[in-house]
Amino acid sequence: MSHRIVGQPIGRLDGADKVSGAARFSADVTLPGMVWGKALRSPLPHARILGIDTTKARALPGVLAVLTAADLPDVLVGRRMFDMPVLARDRVRFIGEKVAVVAAADPDVAEEALALIDVEYDDLPAIIDLAKALESDAPLVHENAGAYEGAPAERPHPNVQSVLRFKLGDVEAGFREADRIFEHTFRTQLAHQGYLEPHAGVVAIDGDGRVQVWASNKMPYRLKELMSHALRLPKEQIRVNLTPIGGDFGGKGSLMDLPLAYHLARVTGRPVKMVMRYAEELMAGNPRHPSLITVRTGVTRDGQIVARQVKALFNSGAYAAFKPVPHVHLGGVSLGAGVYRIPNLLIESYCVYTHNIPCGHMRSPGEPQMVFAGESHMDMIAKELGIEPSEFRRRNLLRDGDQLANGHHLEHVRAKETLDAALEASHWSAPKSGPWIGRGVAMTHRHVGIGFTNARVRLEATGRVTLLIGLPDTGTGAHLTLRQVVAEALGLALDEVEVELATTDVFETDSGVGGSRVTHTGGRAAYHACEKLKQLIAAEAAKLGTPGASLATIAQAAAREGRTLEASYFYDAKKHAAVTSFTAQVAEVAVDPATGQVTVRHFTTAHDVGTVINPNAHQGQIEGGLIQGLGYALMEELPTEDGRISTLNLGEVKLPTVADIPPLTTVLVEDAVGPGPFRAKAIGEGSISAVAPAIANAVADACGVRILDLPITAEKVYFALKKKEQRS
Amino acid sequence: MTRAIRVTVNGVAREVEVPVYRTLLDCLRYDLGLTGSKEGCGVGVCGACTVLLDGKMVSSCIALAVFADGREVTTVEGLAKDGRLHPVQQAFMDLGGFQCGICTPGQIVAAKALLDTVENPTEAEIREWMLGNLCRCTGYYKIVESIQAAARQERP
Repeated sequence: MSHRIVGQPIGRLDGADKVSGAARFSADVTLPGMVWGKALRSPLPHARILGIDTTKARALPGVLAVLTAADLPDVLVGRRMFDMPVLARDRVRFIGEKVAVVAAADPDVAEEALALIDVEYDDLPAIIDLAKALESDAPLVHENAGAYEGAPAERPHPNVQSVLRFKLGDVEAGFREADRIFEHTFRTQLAHQGYLEPHAGVVAIDGDGRVQVWASNKMPYRLKELMSHALRLPKEQIRVNLTPIGGDFGGKGSLMDLPLAYHLARVTGRPVKMVMRYAEELMAGNPRHPSLITVRTGVTRDGQIVARQVKALFNSGAYAAFKPVPHVHLGGVSLGAGVYRIPNLLIESYCVYTHNIPCGHMRSPGEPQMVFAGESHMDMIAKELGIEPSEFRRRNLLRDGDQLANGHHLEHVRAKETLDAALEASHWSAPKSGPWIGRGVAMTHRHVGIGFTNARVRLEATGRVTLLIGLPDTGTGAHLTLRQVVAEALGLALDEVEVELATTDVFETDSGVGGSRVTHTGGRAAYHACEKLKQLIAAEAAKLGTPGASLATIAQAAAREGRTLEASYFYDAKKHAAVTSFTAQVAEVAVDPATGQVTVRHFTTAHDVGTVINPNAHQGQIEGGLIQGLGYALMEELPTEDGRISTLNLGEVKLPTVADIPPLTTVLVEDAVGPGPFRAKAIGEGSISAVAPAIANAVADACGVRILDLPITAEKVYFALKKKEQRS
Repeated sequence: MTRAIRVTVNGVAREVEVPVYRTLLDCLRYDLGLTGSKEGCGVGVCGACTVLLDGKMVSSCIALAVFADGREVTTVEGLAKDGRLHPVQQAFMDLGGFQCGICTPGQIVAAKALLDTVENPTEAEIREWMLGNLCRCTGYYKIVESIQAAARQERP
């Protein structure tokens, strides 16, 4: 099917505000009389609070309020499981937990006041190590976690937050059929989303007593519900006003400081702004879970997988509050099965409480961990079996009609085509240009996100159309994509369509941004609203009786009779479509034997995609996700010592810079079968997860060294090379 | 302790009294209301706060406002002329050189400084110059393309 506007590589026409500095992000919102809030955080991973003396802080000139837990309602907050206090009440459970908050007109005075608050702690034994948290005599992070609102029922150990299990066939019987069984254990690191806008928010209580919120939060309607829960106020009393979001990558869905900003606004009678410093982000944001994953696979002599068992432990930190899904776990765990048909499968995953930073969601939550483990494991098996790694994969790929462990039924499986595309584009079989150069392949796949979105389209008297939507833009260009959908559906030019952002007063609900859903749910809501509007326009035109009347004429005729031509649609996708998008990636690396430094010489990424609505934005998602994957693979890390993150400066976290990006080849295997508008699929989370194993496999190919824990730093490769030398 | 400073911001003479510890970034954002420059890392490594001080790039989050006394500051708000975007700004829009936009003011100011210094930078020169401006959204490919495209444009 050919389209006029869908499929055009339109640049960021919506971005004039962003390139000129006019865009108002949450931290840029300034209200008359506004003051600043700043939080004091715990320096200890686990301690009893014996007392907090705020006398000196209160006496500092310019300080308007100092609050501790004693001043707040006894409420626990969260996204699904409500286990986190707004301020620590009698106990702190991680370094960075908030214990007091100050309001002052000058942010520097607020910071100064924090230093004058005297907290008396009684140090308690802390459980930092993931595996130790599950020992029978381990100290408990929470005395009775099962009693928290939203806590999952299954609790095999008091330090287990949640268990997620996926099962197909009979795994024990499967292993009995196997000729050989391989088992490997992998570790992945704590990783921050790395958005460059730290969490920011402004809360004001207006003249009608309504709570007005401006926040870097991608789920405004859920935020309204969570604020209502946290503040014990009716939902209707809270209004979230949408602002652009300075990067999300899964991290901008939590309350963070907003309840505190509200309480400070309540006691000072002033609007309150709270902006986290980046050091606070790194010690108390909601980063990606570190993991310890053991994969055991049984294969036949000819390389057929007959059974797999995966045991995953995720270090969830001190609270479950940042996890948004009802199972309070990471959905990506199901990717322990990879892109393979495995008749007998058992994946068991545990999110574990420790006295570390509480973890949350980051782009494709749980997937980079599982895919690193699974795809490294595949290459290790292939090597042992003497089968070429792409061929070993090919023998086991998913096919049409297969059922995944998470219940998804699959059609239009393009696993083989995607793999072949990546191999061909990367010249997989070509001779390498020298020693210490290697190639590695890795694959994954991902569903198209589901959720629910409200859209309203209105024909203006000018003949233009306004799309009203409650989805903030986290940076993907979603608003432009939605404009393209509306323009295409209504036969308009792109500049005849405008997007207006709805506050949370406008619609009843919306699932917000995340989980690769916006093009699908927002696009379909907008598309169906346009279909309804077209009918209204046709009826109005018929009444008018003037053939060929312009949209402006039609709108004006309706307006004269007091009517606005507008249509709404609520699109609710509850069930996943029977298609996923496959990804196959090939890394070519060079290893420097003198230093262990890994250089990615070339990267190839192949994606099985639906109709691409905006090729420019689509490619931007591929590139951005891929470079995040590259950082995760090679450099990003938040090392902790006794629960203390030692890289509290963004420079030490080592996000990739422009100097780190490899030459890139992208291949799209188009198959217009997605559930999105015009049969689009999703792309936002497709390029990140297979990068690390592709690089790990390439490093193994280059120098015979297998790195089992991320990131693959020069030090690790160097010492592994030394060890290998000593052995031989 | 406060001090009165005189600073020309985007061609306009401004006078402002600031505490001596006030950063140039906070002065621009909160004393002068120019919120285009952003605070990311707060420690001078991410580049989101990049402004030009007498034409030279500085991280305004680690420069004190008093250092700007008697000098000229150019921020992202000062690049468009007569309602026309600077070629770098236009190129970032045309080619998708930004996504969320939070690092974009710094990227654009840095890129402008590059093109003021090197007329036709090579890709290697662009990569070296832009090293101090982190972007977490784009993976940088489209930033490099945008700067290359802007370099080909006629500039004011």
